[in-house]
Amino acid sequence: MVALEDLKQEAKNVLEGGTVKYIIGYKKPAVGFMAVPAFFHKPEDLDALVWDPTCVHNLVLFLKDEKKKKLGQKEPDERPVGIVVKGCDSRAVNVLLQENYIDRENVYILGVSCGKTGMVDLKKVRKYFKGKIISQIDFNENESFTVTTTEGKVEVPAADIFAVRCTECITASPVIHDVLLGGDSVRTPENPFGSLEEMESKSQGQKWDFWQEQLTKCIRCYACRSICPMCYCDECVVDTINFAVYPDTPAEEKAQKIKWVEKSPTTSENFIYHMVRAIHLAGRCVDCAECERACPMDIPLRFLNKKLEKESKKLFDYDVGYDTEIPSLISSFRDEDPEDFIR
Amino acid sequence: MTEEFEPKIVAFLCKWCSSAGSDLAGVSRMEYPSNVIPIQVLCSGSVSPLYILSAFNKGADGVLVSGCHPGDCHYIKGNYYSRRRIALLKELLNFIGLEPERFKMSWVSAAEGTKYTEVIKEFVDELKPLGAQTKLRRNG
Repeated sequence: MVALEDLKQEAKNVLEGGTVKYIIGYKKPAVGFMAVPAFFHKPEDLDALVWDPTCVHNLVLFLKDEKKKKLGQKEPDERPVGIVVKGCDSRAVNVLLQENYIDRENVYILGVSCGKTGMVDLKKVRKYFKGKIISQIDFNENESFTVTTTEGKVEVPAADIFAVRCTECITASPVIHDVLLGGDSVRTPENPFGSLEEMESKSQGQKWDFWQEQLTKCIRCYACRSICPMCYCDECVVDTINFAVYPDTPAEEKAQKIKWVEKSPTTSENFIYHMVRAIHLAGRCVDCAECERACPMDIPLRFLNKKLEKESKKLFDYDVGYDTEIPSLISSFRDEDPEDFIR
Repeated sequence: MTEEFEPKIVAFLCKWCSSAGSDLAGVSRMEYPSNVIPIQVLCSGSVSPLYILSAFNKGADGVLVSGCHPGDCHYIKGNYYSRRRIALLKELLNFIGLEPERFKMSWVSAAEGTKYTEVIKEFVDELKPLGAQTKLRRNG
């Protein structure tokens, strides 16, 4: 288990010493109990730093912003950014390093281990504590959480309220770090792709019905794309931002513009959008499930990415986010790749 | 008598092998169904999954991607990349519930005009009982 005081001390050391520009971490929210991302620029601010099972956010997202901000500065501060990462987030850092999007010198990684449990799922917590006001959730040494409500403290078995992805997690402690807190913790889930099984056992018709119902809900707010630490393209293939159409745009010009996906949130276009996103994240998604959390329409987006993670493991024996030196999944091949589906 | 359903197939053929293979089938006067809309691409490795999704989106009943046999790629390794990508897309299409028969990949060399006709014949036979593809098709 990570002692919060140790984390604060480590953060304070690097911030006071000037090793890092600032630290991206978590703090208590103004309302509710789910921790929110926070940026700590001064050592004295660090008192607000927290680490508990409500720190669900993948902070690697903000490395993207940092990079973009730096590109716009004439004399950027070249010191690294301190970042608090969980096991899954550390793999996201690895993927960005593997793709040469960021350099190792640009980040100072404060790794925190999730221990025996993981992050809570807000929806599950709300369901479990119907109507009660929660002020704090803490890790325990065993596989449970201590939840503080207005009616006192209760110990809840982790399985009841923690996120599905955490039950399938194999990297509870960060795989890349400058400082590691909470020690190594090895987890061996019985079935790392268990949540997919129900889906896969369905018939084609049932699968289609399920996805049609789910993806028809999509309003194309692109929250999934905005929150994804891997979606860093300057221009997305589904946005036609440099293909602006004005009232006086001639018809011939419009006809020449490639429109892969229409902007309207109709079922067929939603399918193309989500499948393109899934394909683009194949071999890159670290299953932080932020897309699913951010989705205002409760679409189980994680499934699509998890499915491709499973296939890349099964077909190509590729693990995402462990080795920064190997080429990425779709920019490499092996002679023995399966081809039994090819005529 | 009702008219038999004729599927529309979009075929992405690699310029160096499959497209030449289809040419050979043509100049050799081999007969094969006329349901195919061939699109010549420079390499099967250049076929983005988005092309395939887009073809389904714009009304294809089946999509075929065809390239050189492994080891024969004009660009040395394009078809290996393609093989990997297509395998993933195939799994994904299967996962969302599209009939797996609707999407096919084949290796057809420039000398295999006969194989090309066979692949198309088989594909058309498989697609006919499935009827029109409406799942991913854009409405209106």
